[in-house]
Amino acid sequence: MHRRKSIKNIALLAGGLIALPSWAKAWSLESLPLVSAPLNPAAQNTLALIIETIIPESDIKGAKSLGVPAFINLMLADCYDKKTVDNVEKGLAAVESLATTKYQQNFTNLATPQKEELLLSLEKGSDTNLKDFYSLIKNLTIQGYTTSEYVQTTFLKYEMAPGHYHGCVPVKS
Amino acid sequence: MANLNINAKKKNTYDAIVIGSGISGGWAAKELCENGLKTLVLERGREVKHIEDYPTATKHPWEFEHRGQVPLAVREAYGRSFLREETLHWAIKADEQPFVQEKPFTWTRGYHVGGKSLLWARQTQRWSDFDFEGPARDGYAIDWPIRYADIAPWYSHVEKFAGISGNKDGLPHLPDGEFLPPIELNCVEQHLQGVLAKNYTDRQLIQGRCAHITSPQPIHLQQGRGKCQHRNLCNRGCPFGGYFSANASTLPWAAKTGKMTLRPDSVVHSIIYDEKKGKASGVRIVDAHSKEMIEYYAKVIFVNAGAVNSNMILLNSISERFPTGLGNDNGLLGKYFTCHNYRGKANAQVEGFLDKTTSGKNPSNGYIPRFRNVLKQDTDFYGVLHRDWSWPWHEHQPGWHRGRPEAAIDPSPTRQLECERLDARRVCAH
Repeated sequence: MHRRKSIKNIALLAGGLIALPSWAKAWSLESLPLVSAPLNPAAQNTLALIIETIIPESDIKGAKSLGVPAFINLMLADCYDKKTVDNVEKGLAAVESLATTKYQQNFTNLATPQKEELLLSLEKGSDTNLKDFYSLIKNLTIQGYTTSEYVQTTFLKYEMAPGHYHGCVPVKS
Repeated sequence: MANLNINAKKKNTYDAIVIGSGISGGWAAKELCENGLKTLVLERGREVKHIEDYPTATKHPWEFEHRGQVPLAVREAYGRSFLREETLHWAIKADEQPFVQEKPFTWTRGYHVGGKSLLWARQTQRWSDFDFEGPARDGYAIDWPIRYADIAPWYSHVEKFAGISGNKDGLPHLPDGEFLPPIELNCVEQHLQGVLAKNYTDRQLIQGRCAHITSPQPIHLQQGRGKCQHRNLCNRGCPFGGYFSANASTLPWAAKTGKMTLRPDSVVHSIIYDEKKGKASGVRIVDAHSKEMIEYYAKVIFVNAGAVNSNMILLNSISERFPTGLGNDNGLLGKYFTCHNYRGKANAQVEGFLDKTTSGKNPSNGYIPRFRNVLKQDTDFYGVLHRDWSWPWHEHQPGWHRGRPEAAIDPSPTRQLECERLDARRVCAH
C-alpha cells in the first residue's frame, strides 16, 4: 500500500493528477505489483496456482481472471497478523515440497487432478497448521470470488435495493 | 461595556437548549421547534447531513477494498473488535476518549449529528403495565411514577411520525401500536412460531416491531422519506429514509420550522446553575476546533446525551448548591445506569427447509416477548433479566452469504454454486 501512497504523493508534488502520465492512472488492483505483500514472488506464484485450482476458469470465469490472487495478497498484507501470514508462507512451502515428494515435480507442473488431490490431502490430513492454512486460503478464495461484481451480478441475483422482502419462497423461483 | 455584554448574552440566549442530536435529542428538537420555541441543539461531534454524508450508502460489496474487513493497523487504533469497513466513519478511535474497562464494556458512541440513531438496531417494542408495575408488585427498587396509560398516547404520537412496522398481536405484555404492515417471517421463523404456539400458552414468536417504513403515509412523505428498500445496509445511513433516524426525520423537520439552530462540534462542559434563582440557566460548551469556551442560555434545557455522557455532564455541573454534580444530592449520578446488554446469546441449527429461501432482505427479525415473571414470580430473580429475546435469524445459505462461506470447497465452480442448497441452514440469536 505504501507504493500507492507514494504515487499519490508524487502526483501531488507534481502539481496534481493532470500532470500524471497515462500509465500512472491506468493501474488497477490486478496490474499493480503489491510491493508490501508479505509473500515473495515464488510463494505468490504457488498461491495463485492454488487459488486457480480451487476455482478454475471454465465456461464461467474463474478466480484468477476475477483478480482473486491480488485480493488475497492484499488481505494477507493488511488484515492478518504475522503468525497467520507466517503459517501461510510455511503452508505454501509445504505444498511445493509435497509436490516434489509425491510427484517429483514443481506444483506448477502438476496436472490439475494432481493439484486437486494434493490440496484435498491438506484438508483431510492431520496437520492442523496445514489445515488452517488451506482453510484460510479456501475461504478467502471463495470470499474474493463470491463478492466480485461478476459473480454477484451473474449468479447471485445481486440487487442494491431489492425493494421487497418475501420470507419464504421456493429456491428455484 | 455593559451593553456589549448584555448584547452578547442576548445573542446566545434561546428559548430552549437540547444537548445531543441523537434519537431523543432529535425528538426534543422537533417538539420544541414545532411549539414555537427558538431551540439550540448542541452536538459534540461533526455534522452529518442526511444522504450527502453517507459515503458508503450505495457502494457495492466489491467496491470495498477488503470486502468489509478492517485492516489490522486501523483496527488497533480503534481498540475494539466489531468494526466494518462500511461503517468505519461512525467509529471512535480509542485515544479520542480513553476509558477504563474493569469488565468488558462495549461503549457504543455516536459522536456525530444523529448520534446512535444512525447505528441502532431499530427495534421498537412498547413497554406494558407488567414493566411499569414490576418494582411495586415484586417489591424491589422504586415504583415508577407513571403507568402505561400515561405514556400510551405518546407512544402513538412517536410511532405515527417515525413509521413503525409490526403486527397487532394482542399481547397484554407487549401492547400493540400504530403499525405499518409487518415484515414477513421466514420459513424457519414461521416454523418456530408454530411449534411455540402448539406447546406453550405463554410464549410467542412475533414479527419484531421495527422503525421501518413498509407503507409510507403522507406524514412520512412530507419528511422526504420513502419505503424501506430491504437492503439491510441501514448502518451506513439510509438514502431512502427507510428507517427512522434523527438525520432523516426529526432534525430536518425541526429545521424546517426555522426555529432550530444546530451547532455541531460543541462538546458540552456543564450546565450553568443560577444560585439566586435556584434554576439551571444555561450550558457551557467547548468548541471542538477552537477550544473556546462559550456559554448559551435558556429557560428550558434538555439533556439527551446518552446514558454515560448525560451522567458525565451532570457530574461536571458543579455549583455551591450542587457540589458533587447537578441533582446529585443522593450521590447516585454516574452509578446504576444501564446500556444495551449484548452479552446474552443463544443459537440453534435447524435442519431442513432446503427447498425454500428468502427474497430481498429483512432489516428486522423475529421476536420472543418476555415470558418469565409476567403473571407470576417464576424465577429467583426480580423483574426481567432478559426482557425479551430478539432474534436476528441469519440464514446461512452456505457458501454464498455475507462473504464468509462455510461450504466445503469443491474444485468445480459450477458444483460450488450448487452447494448453496446442500447444507443445513443455521439460525442464531442474541
